[in-house]
Amino acid sequence: MGIPIPNSKLGMWLFLGTEIMFFTAFIGSYIVLRLGSNGWPTRYEDTHINVLLGGINTFVLIVSSYCVVVAHEAMAQKSFTKARMYLTVTLLLAVLFLGIKGIEYKGKIDHDILPGRIPETSSQAVVKVADQLKQLVLERFSVYTTSGVIENVVPENLTAMAPLVQALPTAARPEDLTDAEFEVYKASAGDDYALFEKWDNLQKHIVANVSLDYPALPVEYMASRAKLEDGAKPPELSLDEVKKYLGDIKKDGPHAALVSARVFDPHPIVYGNIFASSYFIMTGFHAIHVIVGMILFLAVLKQGSALNEKWTDFVENSGLYWHFVDLVWIFLFPMLYII
Amino acid sequence: MGSGRFDSPGENQRVFELKLAGKMSHDSHSTHHVNYLAIFFVLCGCTALSVVFDVLSMSKPVTMVLVLAVACAKALCVMMFFMHLKFEGNWKYVLLAPTTILAIGLPIALFPDIGSSYYTNAAPQVGVWADEVAEYEKQHAAELAAPAVEE
Repeated sequence: MGIPIPNSKLGMWLFLGTEIMFFTAFIGSYIVLRLGSNGWPTRYEDTHINVLLGGINTFVLIVSSYCVVVAHEAMAQKSFTKARMYLTVTLLLAVLFLGIKGIEYKGKIDHDILPGRIPETSSQAVVKVADQLKQLVLERFSVYTTSGVIENVVPENLTAMAPLVQALPTAARPEDLTDAEFEVYKASAGDDYALFEKWDNLQKHIVANVSLDYPALPVEYMASRAKLEDGAKPPELSLDEVKKYLGDIKKDGPHAALVSARVFDPHPIVYGNIFASSYFIMTGFHAIHVIVGMILFLAVLKQGSALNEKWTDFVENSGLYWHFVDLVWIFLFPMLYII
Repeated sequence: MGSGRFDSPGENQRVFELKLAGKMSHDSHSTHHVNYLAIFFVLCGCTALSVVFDVLSMSKPVTMVLVLAVACAKALCVMMFFMHLKFEGNWKYVLLAPTTILAIGLPIALFPDIGSSYYTNAAPQVGVWADEVAEYEKQHAAELAAPAVEE
């Protein structure tokens, strides 16, 4: 005796059984984490979750599921041309789904809404500003090392690089550069050094955790502390003053346009990282399943006009798989986009 | 080589096979006269309903229940009609029940540890941590000062 279905279909259902457990692990963990967290980012400004795009993708998958089931019906009726047509539409819809998902991913990557990169507290937000400023300084400094204007120093060695960049306007021209080329580097060196100073100042205040109005250099810092009464502490660095500090750089500081484009305003998002992890792991694995489904449909479509009834089981099983992919999205859409 | 019982199926085994196959043993490629287009429109309507629930300013728990109920309805439609489970034999329960039980087991296992406890999002800062250690030591000064009892 045995289960009264073809072996291939039994195999597919057993596989889908494991898939149910696979996705329930993610979805169940997400529900548990969300219920256990004392808050969750839901505002568009925090998550860049676009309900409209999610809704369109839901519609796309529903249409594709309909097409697959009609394709299977056509195979059973030996209407192979019709089956090919509906499978082609399904394949195109899968491409559309991934395209829309790509747009959503790009929005999150552009805004650095990525696991482990989201500041959840004020202090983390301040550190992120300093990190992003440092990245710009490194990029600017590497211009001089890659062009040979400054030699024998790596840009990462900022303490060694900074005095060399500062001294560049009065430095001698390297032999392999023309006067015109060297003038360009000399002209940008002032702004680059000023940007370094801005970052360096912020970094020192972060390390000392004192207000930007308070000296952070060791000697001056100790002298100021000595003037305080016993038990008194210097004012701590606050998120608001860092926002203002960054705002001033973006307004008329060194490389204002570059800083405006590349350094985000400090914006703590409580539970942002666990949200981003959940979002990317669930939608990412779902997208991988969509790609696998596309490969299955391509295998059928590759037969072209030679498609025959031998492929009927394959189309049915691919269809079952595709409906499961749709089924997962049916739960991901409300949980990630609506609730 | 079998023991005899399974080589020559008896009445009980035939009854079991029939039960497993169900009344409507599913021929893989038979058509079931399902109006797939109607199911498609139901699914579209349910999706629109989910978005409407999101737009309406209801309380979060109410929205959550409504939206998940709609998702379950959509999932049932897909499973029953698109995946033909409505027309399959009883083997579907044999195959899917253990999977479903195991799948539900994980969230239940996680819940007491994570779901019912508040976890802090912020790693303790060094200064704060030092304050907390000092506070702990202050509160447990007597215990900490007492000599350790050797077992």
